Amino acid sequence: MFLDHFEYYAPATAAEAFALAGRLGEGARVLAGGTDLLLMMKDKLIKPCYLVDINGVKEFQGINYEAGKGAVIGAAVRISEIEHSPLIRDKYYALWQAAGELGSVQVRSMATIGGNSCHASPAAETPPPLAALGATVVIAGAAGKRELSLEDFILGNRQTALKEGELLTGFILPEPAPRSASRYAYIGLRDAMEIDAVNMAVNLVLDEDRLTVKNLKLVMGSVAPRPLISAAVPKLLTGRKFEPMLLEQVAAAAAGEAKPISDIRASAEYRREMVAVLARRLLQEAFDAAREV
Amino acid sequence: MNRRFTQVGRSVPRVDAPAKLKGEAIYTGDMVLPGMAYGKIKRSIYAHALIKNIDYSKALALPGVLAVITGDEAPNKWGIVPQTANEVALAVGKVRFHGEGVAAVAAIDEETAEAALDLIDVEYEPLPVILDPFESMKRASEVCIHEDAPENILHAAEQLFGDPDKAFESCAYILEKEFHTSYVNHAFLEPHTALASFDRQSGKLQLWSSTQVPHYLHRQLSIVLEMPMSKIRVTVPAVGGGFGGKGEASSADFCAALLSRKIGKPVKMTFERSEVFATNKGRHPCHMKMKIGLDKDGYIQAVDFDNTLDGGAYAGWGMVVMFYTASMIHLPYKVPNARARVRRVYTNKPTCGAMRGLGGVQPRFAMECLLDEMAEIVGISPYELKMKNAIESGYRSVSNLYVPHTEYKKCLQTAVEKSGYLDKHGKLPFGKGIGLAGGYYISGTAYTLYQAYKPHTTVLIRVDTEGGVTLHCAAADIGQGCNTVMAQMAAEALGVHFEDVHVVSGDTELGTFDLGSFASRLTYAAGAAILEAAAEINKKLKEVAAGMLGCRADQLEIKDRRFYSIFESRKAIDWEKVVDVYTNTVGTLTGIGHFSPPRLKGIDLSRGVRVQGANIGHSPTFGFSSQIWEVDVDLETGKIRAEKVTEAGDCGQPVNPMSVDGQVEGSIMFVMGQALYEEMKLGPDGRMLNASLHDYKVPTAMELPEIDTTIVDSYDPTAPFGVKESGEGPVQPTIPAIVNAVYDAIGVRFTELPITPEKVLKALKEKKA
Amino acid sequence: MKKQLIQLEINDLIYEVPVNPRDLLVDVLRKKVGLTGTKKGCGQGDCGACTVLIDGAPVLSCITLAVACQGKKITTIEGLADAQGNLHPIQQSFMDHGAVQCGFCTPGMVLTAKALLDRDPSPTETEIKRSIAGNICRCTGYKKIVEAIAAAGATSKVEVQ
Repeated sequence: MFLDHFEYYAPATAAEAFALAGRLGEGARVLAGGTDLLLMMKDKLIKPCYLVDINGVKEFQGINYEAGKGAVIGAAVRISEIEHSPLIRDKYYALWQAAGELGSVQVRSMATIGGNSCHASPAAETPPPLAALGATVVIAGAAGKRELSLEDFILGNRQTALKEGELLTGFILPEPAPRSASRYAYIGLRDAMEIDAVNMAVNLVLDEDRLTVKNLKLVMGSVAPRPLISAAVPKLLTGRKFEPMLLEQVAAAAAGEAKPISDIRASAEYRREMVAVLARRLLQEAFDAAREV
Repeated sequence: MNRRFTQVGRSVPRVDAPAKLKGEAIYTGDMVLPGMAYGKIKRSIYAHALIKNIDYSKALALPGVLAVITGDEAPNKWGIVPQTANEVALAVGKVRFHGEGVAAVAAIDEETAEAALDLIDVEYEPLPVILDPFESMKRASEVCIHEDAPENILHAAEQLFGDPDKAFESCAYILEKEFHTSYVNHAFLEPHTALASFDRQSGKLQLWSSTQVPHYLHRQLSIVLEMPMSKIRVTVPAVGGGFGGKGEASSADFCAALLSRKIGKPVKMTFERSEVFATNKGRHPCHMKMKIGLDKDGYIQAVDFDNTLDGGAYAGWGMVVMFYTASMIHLPYKVPNARARVRRVYTNKPTCGAMRGLGGVQPRFAMECLLDEMAEIVGISPYELKMKNAIESGYRSVSNLYVPHTEYKKCLQTAVEKSGYLDKHGKLPFGKGIGLAGGYYISGTAYTLYQAYKPHTTVLIRVDTEGGVTLHCAAADIGQGCNTVMAQMAAEALGVHFEDVHVVSGDTELGTFDLGSFASRLTYAAGAAILEAAAEINKKLKEVAAGMLGCRADQLEIKDRRFYSIFESRKAIDWEKVVDVYTNTVGTLTGIGHFSPPRLKGIDLSRGVRVQGANIGHSPTFGFSSQIWEVDVDLETGKIRAEKVTEAGDCGQPVNPMSVDGQVEGSIMFVMGQALYEEMKLGPDGRMLNASLHDYKVPTAMELPEIDTTIVDSYDPTAPFGVKESGEGPVQPTIPAIVNAVYDAIGVRFTELPITPEKVLKALKEKKA
Repeated sequence: MKKQLIQLEINDLIYEVPVNPRDLLVDVLRKKVGLTGTKKGCGQGDCGACTVLIDGAPVLSCITLAVACQGKKITTIEGLADAQGNLHPIQQSFMDHGAVQCGFCTPGMVLTAKALLDRDPSPTETEIKRSIAGNICRCTGYKKIVEAIAAAGATSKVEVQ
């Protein structure tokens, strides 16, 4: 299993990277972790003429947090760095969980948070928690910078809003609201190295009474071509007291919104049922955690 | 308990461990020879098609390509079972499974060889694809896979012992159920690899191969290449796992050899993972019907077994596996009347073959689950039912299987005691369950697979003053540790230390004949041969030692590298001194030993005619195992988590207890995968949908349950050093124990594998309804 | 395509190798540098047999470009034994615990274990299992491997990078 020939570039600065992206056009692909890219190239699904290796660009690295403002995560930050970041664990728990459950230790040492979103596999682990946490992506190119919400960035199965010559440079995560907690989980056959049959992230904000739901975002993965933001669940819970009795209704609503397909990993029916199970479990976990914050 | 052994019974680290740990062990794929070229195989994109034309002119024109071959250059059929040999190095006229090799290329580097494949144009005429054995039998008149098998059946047989129909009439309890096992692959980590070097001047071929069976490979090469065996040498470097999947020969072996002969240079061929799946030779999916009848006291009176084996496209080990499944119903319980009707069917899928515990795992699943259910009907514990019916040492089955020694009951008892089975079974909260099963496997095997009277294993031991003790045997160490145990047994027999023995194995030119590493035969077979060879050496040395000491030769013992008189302890002398004197006065000292299993009369394997006893499954002795599994079922997701396994096994005298534990633990995880996760999935066109380790899910370390194993105190007095097998017995109880545990947890008896979360959830819902 | 000469630092030695950008690290290690201890089990990043350490982190060399490894410290299995050929404590522990059978997963497994113990000398059993979840073994059933790693952590004087 060998790759076709390509030309390799390793820019040292963001400006160089943008210039290359602009100049090389659609025959170029960005190499970050390579865990998805190189496999697609080995399978001859794509045959880029140029690879632009962005791992040496300092501007795309780093997890920087400013109290009250939130965090900025460079696109080329390794999943392992996120997995081992006390800050992410403390403030953006669902993202920390997802990072820890992606692939294996080796894959986490290679894969990047930017790559996970840019590859835009429907089963990707980090997009749902990023979306649930209200993440914005920063896109830049020779023409300038723009920001999009994560859900507007990932458009479908392996499709993003990136235009030719543009690069994803980082993620902005807002400061978590007071009395909020986020959680993530997946369903798969094994406890490691899984392509998730279903995954889900939840971000729950409680009111001052620590019982009423002030704000809620629930994002499902692997049950639609892109992360599916639930409309029904927030509608059902926002402004109401969180009660276990409500959960059945909420879980059913979430399951109803899911648009899963059947493939070799799971049937659509099973995926739909698991959406309900995960919704119930994650909402309860997030609620219990938010009360303690 | 170690019966006065000093070398056997030691948990010595494996002799090859340091090299493997340092990355210095040489596997076939690591080898480089001067001028070596690389080979790749072009594979069929149809599961069933005629080959109309192959045009490889463009491939030959690619710079760096040295040769291209197609099937018609070597059309001789080969097969591990010669009577049913129907495989070819590369397809001839027709392809019968998706991924079958149709051409092979040799080039100066791997990338060029791979690129050349795209330049080979193959014109196919697709034929209808059959993926189900029942459909295959039904539609045989319109879709025939092999011309010489008009019913699409490789072989069918019926075996009858006693009068089961009559026996059933008087049974108090009868239960009949259908069971279906899945299409699984060995997934050894090292892909098939072969390096062939043909020397034009001498006309000799040397093949290094990742194989379990150097001898059979040697024979098959001779057939396919039309060369005498005396001009072929097979060498086995380190092997990265086999589990039966490397127990025949692969297209890598033949194509590398053919290409090397064509260009007069060495050719190395390594399979990609997808090619390992295409080659397959994994476990046969079995569609079984089993009926058991018990008398009012719970004793088995009759077993009726019907099995349709889905064999895939070619014969391979198929006939043997088929007969083994029939034979496996006769143990480890007393069965006075039995009928087995078995048939092995062709389908357009990668061929099935021998996989760890071959022919045993499937009927074991059926029988252990059926008995578990019958125990409930009778109103006693499954443990009690199995203890009642368990065989004892000296048992002879109605099919003429003779079990000289067994501690099966002790295995059951031990597992039950250690796990607290009786306190937990039927008493755990819903969702948690505990299940029991037992099993056994042959050890030492009985047949050569082709008509031959020669011994199955020969060991030559050389003792000299320079090298010390060197043991020659062409046996293959595939990671199971036979080099280490052979050294231990030789050291024990000769009275020296394990560290003194050098083992020269895995080479048909340097080692003496051995049938191969399969069916758990090697420790027993080599042990027997070693005893005979050592006896010859010891006799010669004792005569010299006696002369040196001034006593009688038959009063001497050899232990701990010393000869000593058993009556006069001061008469003792160092072993090396005796060797030195012998060598100077007589010459090089050698001993040779042979092993032949006891042969039963009147069996004609080639026609499948039974005169007395079942054809297959006879072996000199048997190993036993019992396992108790505890599971936790997530009632919302259907996911089964294996929490704990308690195992107790009878392997006779363990030669290397640490190695035995490793075999048992490995067996457990190996088959757990088949029960819960593994399945080769095919599309309607016969193409494999999950031909990668990403989607063919083998257990990772995260799936590891708590494992508690016990080597039950045992010693088979009829076996060399009291040994029996330990690598395939422990795979037998795993699936049924899990299935029985799941029943205990959620009240559903699964009869189809694998038990996925989806199936569990579906069953739970149906139960509620 | 014309090859370029690059420098790779492997096991504290500098090697100059001619490569194309498309050459994968596992192939360069095995065929150009001649270090065959790193194994190829699947070529798709699923089995972990090709694991090497890059700047101390375990990485799948079958999906890593050699050109992308310039300026980094690569550790292969051959780099673990000391200058006199004595086994690293992890290797010794594997041997003592019977954690090696066919040996094909062993190099990758040992390196993954080293990365774990360098970071955390006393991991829990769950942490050990999690860290080797990307290294498939078909022979041992993992139990002795987990025991070997736990023992190596407890008793060895592993240098933390």
